[in-house]
Amino acid sequence: MADEEDDNGFDEELDDGTSGVDVGHGKRKRLFSKELRCMMYGFGDDQNPYTESVDILEDLVIEFITEMTHKAMSIGRQGRVQVEDIVFLIRKDPRKFARVKDLLTMNEELKRARKAFDEANYGS
Amino acid sequence: MADPARIKVGDSSERTNSAAEQQNPKPSEADPAKTPHHQSSHHQSTGENKDASSSQDQSKQDEAKSESAAGEDEEEGTSGQPDSKRLKVEPEKKKEKRHKVDEDEIQKMQVLVSSFSEEQLNRYEMYRRSAFPKAAIKRLIQSITGSSVSQNVVIAMSGISKVFAGEIVEEALDVCEKWGETPPLQPKHMREAVRRLKSRDQIPNTKHKNILFH
Repeated sequence: MADEEDDNGFDEELDDGTSGVDVGHGKRKRLFSKELRCMMYGFGDDQNPYTESVDILEDLVIEFITEMTHKAMSIGRQGRVQVEDIVFLIRKDPRKFARVKDLLTMNEELKRARKAFDEANYGS
Repeated sequence: MADPARIKVGDSSERTNSAAEQQNPKPSEADPAKTPHHQSSHHQSTGENKDASSSQDQSKQDEAKSESAAGEDEEEGTSGQPDSKRLKVEPEKKKEKRHKVDEDEIQKMQVLVSSFSEEQLNRYEMYRRSAFPKAAIKRLIQSITGSSVSQNVVIAMSGISKVFAGEIVEEALDVCEKWGETPPLQPKHMREAVRRLKSRDQIPNTKHKNILFH
């Protein structure tokens, strides 16, 4: 397919030594290649996923993050991204909402545990 | 903390210590019909009622408890106590219930993971451990906003992005299976998955503005 040939062309150019500067949308240096491969295997794909699929997924994830950031900047405090804004944007999606709540709760618990541990050490 | 995999263990003899017979088959997290708040409060109320009633009435051990029945039980269980006492006791019971629910889930997860094959263990380990690098996500968000962001934002964003990637991969695997093909996933599966998710509004898109009056 023509799309895949274009992807290969970009990859070859990168191999020749063009820098990671954002020249165009597709020519950006791959930020998450290694992590996305592990993630795709974890979610059910083959142990060696196709590079083109990983590229498509990375573009989708970056677009998702960009959209969320822009939306978060436009609500709440303008021009800033805050956790409350993200939680508000995600409220309709049960999976993501539950995941964010879990992550933030765990983070608080870990911070408290670390603080208690440090104080215990300081005392003794 | 709720685990994503929920297994209904039919054999109640395994859990002789826990008083609560958690027989409700929990709906999956991705159930679009309910918001998460309603979902969790429903579970707490049904679990609480089961706890109150199971000690008195052992015969009430239904596998699938409908929500209308849960509503009736709630009225029966709390009608005998005065209002002020009920208000104090209920939040404590709910916290206890949540704790027991977590413990049950943890036990179920342990039973499940102990029965994994080697390949499944590998995959599960990759599923739990893979994550987006916080530095790269922070750099990406800061390049968009132009100002610095707090650590919590980076944590939340990388968590959501992982769930998003998981949704796409799962949909793509559905597509792949439906078309009678095998993994590894090909770009055409990914694109069809994106098209399907877009029609369900699960992919945010602010590029197209609907101008209503024109």
